[in-house]
Amino acid sequence: MIAEVAFLAALLAFGAAVYAVAAAVWGTRTAANKMILSARNAALASFPLLLLSCGLLIAALVGEQFQMSYVWQVTNSQTPIFYRLTGLWGSQAGSLLFWCTLMSGFAVGAVVINWRKHPRMMPYVIAFTMATVAFFLGLVLFFENPFERFWIMPDNSVAQSVFVPSNGIPPAASTLASTANGLNPLLRHFGMIVHPPLLYLGFVGFIIPFAFAMAALASGDLSTAWIKASRRWALVAWICLSLGLLLGGRWAYDVLGWGGYWGWDPVENAAFLPWLIGTAYLHSVMIQEKRGMLKVWNLFLVIMTFSAVVFGTFATRSGLVDSVHSFARSSIGFPLFFFWLGMTLIAVALIFWRWRRGELRDEHRFNNLLGREALFTLNNIIFVLLFIAIFWGSFGAPVISELFFNTNITLGKDYFMSVTPPLFLALFILMGVAPLSAWGVTSLRKLGRGLLIPLALTVVLVALIALISPVTPIAVVGYAAAGLAGVVAIYETYRGVAARHRTQHESWFHAFNALITRNRRRYGGYVIHIAIAMIGIGTIGSTLFQQETQRTLKVGESVELGGYTLTYDRFLGGQIAEDERVMDIAQMTVYQNGNAVAQIRPRRDFYPNTEGMNTMTIAGAYSTIQGDVYVLLVSWEAVGEGSATFKIYLNPLINFIWWGGVLLVIGTLIAAWNDVVPEFVPSRSSVRHAGVTP
Amino acid sequence: MKTKVLMLLLLTATALLFLSTPSELAFAQGDPTKPVTADQVNAIAKQLYCPVCENITLDTCGTAACAQWRDEIRIQLEEGKTPQQVIDDFVTRFGDRVVGTPVDPTLRALSLVTPWVLGALAIVAALWYLRQRDRLPEAAPATAELQPTLHTDDEYMARLEHDLAKLR
Repeated sequence: MIAEVAFLAALLAFGAAVYAVAAAVWGTRTAANKMILSARNAALASFPLLLLSCGLLIAALVGEQFQMSYVWQVTNSQTPIFYRLTGLWGSQAGSLLFWCTLMSGFAVGAVVINWRKHPRMMPYVIAFTMATVAFFLGLVLFFENPFERFWIMPDNSVAQSVFVPSNGIPPAASTLASTANGLNPLLRHFGMIVHPPLLYLGFVGFIIPFAFAMAALASGDLSTAWIKASRRWALVAWICLSLGLLLGGRWAYDVLGWGGYWGWDPVENAAFLPWLIGTAYLHSVMIQEKRGMLKVWNLFLVIMTFSAVVFGTFATRSGLVDSVHSFARSSIGFPLFFFWLGMTLIAVALIFWRWRRGELRDEHRFNNLLGREALFTLNNIIFVLLFIAIFWGSFGAPVISELFFNTNITLGKDYFMSVTPPLFLALFILMGVAPLSAWGVTSLRKLGRGLLIPLALTVVLVALIALISPVTPIAVVGYAAAGLAGVVAIYETYRGVAARHRTQHESWFHAFNALITRNRRRYGGYVIHIAIAMIGIGTIGSTLFQQETQRTLKVGESVELGGYTLTYDRFLGGQIAEDERVMDIAQMTVYQNGNAVAQIRPRRDFYPNTEGMNTMTIAGAYSTIQGDVYVLLVSWEAVGEGSATFKIYLNPLINFIWWGGVLLVIGTLIAAWNDVVPEFVPSRSSVRHAGVTP
Repeated sequence: MKTKVLMLLLLTATALLFLSTPSELAFAQGDPTKPVTADQVNAIAKQLYCPVCENITLDTCGTAACAQWRDEIRIQLEEGKTPQQVIDDFVTRFGDRVVGTPVDPTLRALSLVTPWVLGALAIVAALWYLRQRDRLPEAAPATAELQPTLHTDDEYMARLEHDLAKLR
């Protein structure tokens, strides 16, 4: 029953989305307001229907409905309830349904909030968002159906279908329960509970700026209205994507057992690519708002951001690339590829058409190479260069090599570490310099003078970093560039607060509060700059100065690394957890300067399943501001009586990355915070405001 | 004078930082009971990608096949091969996919040069667009309704800058 109802709800949502597209297009072409209202209602209906479908799938996961092949695939009787809920995105079919629900939720939110304020664009927004929702729902219904059930056929073969096939009987419940797969152990981690939803929110969230950009192009309303309508949506998508990436890094650090957090894996990069272009857009859009410039560029960036999202989805889910993160190869590759190609070509063609008609002319020109708009543009160019370099390394070169040279190649860390650092360095320098420059014209002398104090403070900062981390000339340059970006943000905020404190006679706290409240976007942006600077410092420290060693120790023996002594105390083998996983735990004491500072317990978890054992390596870590002592219990070497093999890493400054992540959230909340009042009035009269442009 | 002193301090501090002690990048000392340490093996395995799994380096891959390949690296090192010889041997047997950048000169050049060429093309295209754009007259501001918001912000920022100027 659950499967049938869930399937029908998804099917109705698909019908509603398709109808919304048709009605919105027809209503716009014929100026039929009733049709537009009907399109809106259909779009609004898609979300509760998808919520119902998703909710029923969750109910099936929780209720051990193992006859549903998806439930059988991602849970078993031992799976804790918490991980049954997360099973919704544990495999391809469920995660696609979840993806559609989120996308529909964003679309409904955008319609409700903007219905009256941007009436001219709304029919187009409905058409573009619902077309995308319909496409992905089509994938769910016709290619990757999570509602299919197992049936035993008269010839004893097993069939999968939603509805009962003729002569099919359901398999015995006990057989299904005893053979169920269970969730991939790699996904049983807090990071995996939060990371995929955030990543999906980041991905699907960019559909709103994309839809508004397309609506602007299609409707001819090429003012900044589409930017104003979609700015907060872009920020919400951006922070979700940022957090998704950071939590993915944290998950890799905790669970994948290799001492790092970013492996330049193609699937990681597929999520990073839209972030790069999206970040470029968030900067360049300010130039259009302030100076009426870069209109074509902004449309191009926002469209490329969503194009990168769809391409990343295609790459991850089609089997174009294999990685620890990607879903298994499936039949959705070709439809996704053609959707991505078609969508991108239509969008670019629309830009080109408007541009040829002279409707995207800028209102100002660059007057000065040091003006803020010029520096922001330079920042955009670097983001795009990073995009090109990472796209090429992840997808371009491997695919071309295989297609034209018949050779499989991997462009790994070597490639990315040789191509991207100069670009990141340039980005950080620009992050430091651009906020000191003024819109329009800035002289080199003025800019240089403004930089003096921040530079002096940066030197102090780098000296402080040198106290807790090793340094080399290259690291000093990196720390200084990242540090400058953060210092300028702090210094500029301080200047603003000091000015208010002196001239308005406000207390420091009140002045700070008033300054931020008065221009949240600017100062929220500065907090984000500080966060990115922290992440940069953490990345430089942990990348350049990571130390590692592997040792086999008997109980009581010690190993030294980077000023720490680690003593192997005891081994607790075969511990059984509540979810029936078996844990082999080693206990170690960490000493610094002869003093015991921590006890850590690296372990290996074994998850029994029908195919044998799934294994996970969980690190034991001692974290300080200086970095992590990170220990893995290695199993691939023979472990003798009373001895164990450990891989020990020192990851300097790595915690700056996670703390930077927290600050990133705070900064984005400040920047995006505003009085957003839903404007949707659910009456027929409201559609009169949705005046249709002939 | 104040500026010069600041500049001098800046240069001195920067020079001091550059002269500071380099990091301890070297691996920890190997196990004295074994001729080839696990760290030496891992140092090479880190540069090789698992020929079976995608995008996982050999030092971190948990499969039995990779454990055997790590043993093979150990054996080859014990036989007196240099790290580069070990890597070359793996490339000969499994192809260019086992290294982070291809060894084959054509593929290597294609891999490393192309992003810069693409980047240069993107910059040329941007410059071409800017030149095209400069030939056209500037457009009038797109919306009248946008201006009040911007003016409010600009006025506020101008006031703030004015207050800041008074502090200097």
